Amino acid sequence: MDSPPLVSYCNGGLSQKIIIDTDPGIDDSMAIMMAFQTPNLDILGLTTTFGNVSTKDATRNALLLCEIAGRLDVPVAEGSFEPLKGGEPEIQDFIHGSDGLGNLHLPPPKLKKVEKSASEFLVDKVSEYPGEVSILALGPLTNLALAIKRDSSFVNKVKRVVILGGAFFALGNINPAAEANIYGDPEAADIVFTSGANIDVIGINITTQVKMSDDDLDELRKSKGKHAQFLCNSSKFYRDWHVKIRWCLWSFPS
Amino acid sequence: MPEPKKIIIDTDPGIDDAMAIFLALRSPEITVVGLTTIYGNVYTTLATRNALHLLEVAGRTDIPVAEGSHVSYMKATKLRVADFVHGVDGLGNQNFPQPKSKPIEKSAAEYLVEQANLYPGEITVVALGPLTNIALAIQLDPTFTKKIGQIVLLGGAFAVNGNVNPASEANIFGDPEAADIVFTSGADVVAVGINVTHQVIMKDSELDNMAESEGKFAKYLSKILDYYFSYHRDAYSMKGVYLHDPTALLAAVNPSLMTYTEGVVRVQTTGITRGLTLFFNKQKRFNEATEWNNKPTVKVAVTVDAPAVVKLVMDRLMNS
Repeated sequence: MDSPPLVSYCNGGLSQKIIIDTDPGIDDSMAIMMAFQTPNLDILGLTTTFGNVSTKDATRNALLLCEIAGRLDVPVAEGSFEPLKGGEPEIQDFIHGSDGLGNLHLPPPKLKKVEKSASEFLVDKVSEYPGEVSILALGPLTNLALAIKRDSSFVNKVKRVVILGGAFFALGNINPAAEANIYGDPEAADIVFTSGANIDVIGINITTQVKMSDDDLDELRKSKGKHAQFLCNSSKFYRDWHVKIRWCLWSFPS
Repeated sequence: MPEPKKIIIDTDPGIDDAMAIFLALRSPEITVVGLTTIYGNVYTTLATRNALHLLEVAGRTDIPVAEGSHVSYMKATKLRVADFVHGVDGLGNQNFPQPKSKPIEKSAAEYLVEQANLYPGEITVVALGPLTNIALAIQLDPTFTKKIGQIVLLGGAFAVNGNVNPASEANIFGDPEAADIVFTSGADVVAVGINVTHQVIMKDSELDNMAESEGKFAKYLSKILDYYFSYHRDAYSMKGVYLHDPTALLAAVNPSLMTYTEGVVRVQTTGITRGLTLFFNKQKRFNEATEWNNKPTVKVAVTVDAPAVVKLVMDRLMNS
């Protein structure tokens, strides 16, 4: 048998258009860097949302991640500052550090966000390539709900929506009932889940089975991986928080 | 042999309630002190009539029946009854004659409080319907939670879909506010949910055995069970029936038939998930205080020796 390829090709090696809706966030950073390292992923852009950090900080961090990865071509569109029902969103800075990247306090990015809002960007890209664009949603679903409200044909034009959210027949992580991304905007989540779009949901019943150990982190640090050092530095805060709550696991967007 | 456990059955008969009541009367480990009635499978008035009727059939009119609440804890009068499961008379549409006996003067809640005071720590309540009467007993006498020995309740859907809708199990859905009061009351509560009772199935062939048996209870039950079997065929496409109430009753008779976990249960009282039972296992420390914090724990049944439960039900009812 041939040894498995070092990088995994999605979609049978065919190029796949994707937009990542994200609130970076340490584990978001890992997912985004993984996406950048996946050869056949055509990343049309990043859209930002509140959750791990405020939307403003999420935009800054998304721009920083593009710069660190040398992907200045990837547009970043800023999303909603608040959930559908309004009000100040709850921010998970005790997990991700006050800057959202493990308190590395990096200098501000030179790169600028695009003019369009996240929901405009989502609608425009999906309309430009109907049936071709997948969306990976890693935070509360406000931007997706706004895109659905903006253009009712969005749900038919989007190829696939992959959502990190929910706790299916498992306990939540914000409280026993609710998972953080859904809790961040339950009204938006209900709109998206019942929209009729082609949706795959990955809840914490799955992601809490996927853990990165201290050994894995050491291996990453010793590696020559392009983004390994940055991710290890950023992950220290995240790792320590998991140890602090004795809930020693790392949840990834799988 | 230890002295039999004193049991009060809070019930809404109901075909599987009838099975549970007869099973209780055939179980030497327990003494049935009384029955209290509640709406659920039928309205409370009919539940009382059926409870009296069943005791007449059993020749046990010495057992008192106390009629329970006709309305929910929040005084709602529009109640959901499951007559499509049990027949309009609650007993498989058999047109049984009116019972001659009468319920006692006391209400179910008053009777529960009285008995708990009379035998502190000794009474087990087996609650087979919505938990209105138990919540009213707690309201009537806050020391009830300390004086009652144990509350074994049939209710909830723990980490599975409900049977009224995807969120909610019928008994909890019947009175979610009462259920939340009981779960968080601090009493010794054991919850047997449909995650457990859906594993305990009486098959068509076992109904046949019952019909052919000489047992008094078996003969009676085999008639009323037809309706229950046909509901399960239509609703679940299954050749058998769930033994909800007998399973809960046996949890009180012989706790070792099941395994349990312990944690805090809260009941959702609003929205599309009204009636949802949410169990918290205390394995995560949350950053913020939650509605599960600092609440008393209850035991929730997790696994069941289903073949042993079915065998016990069959053996005791056939040799009656």
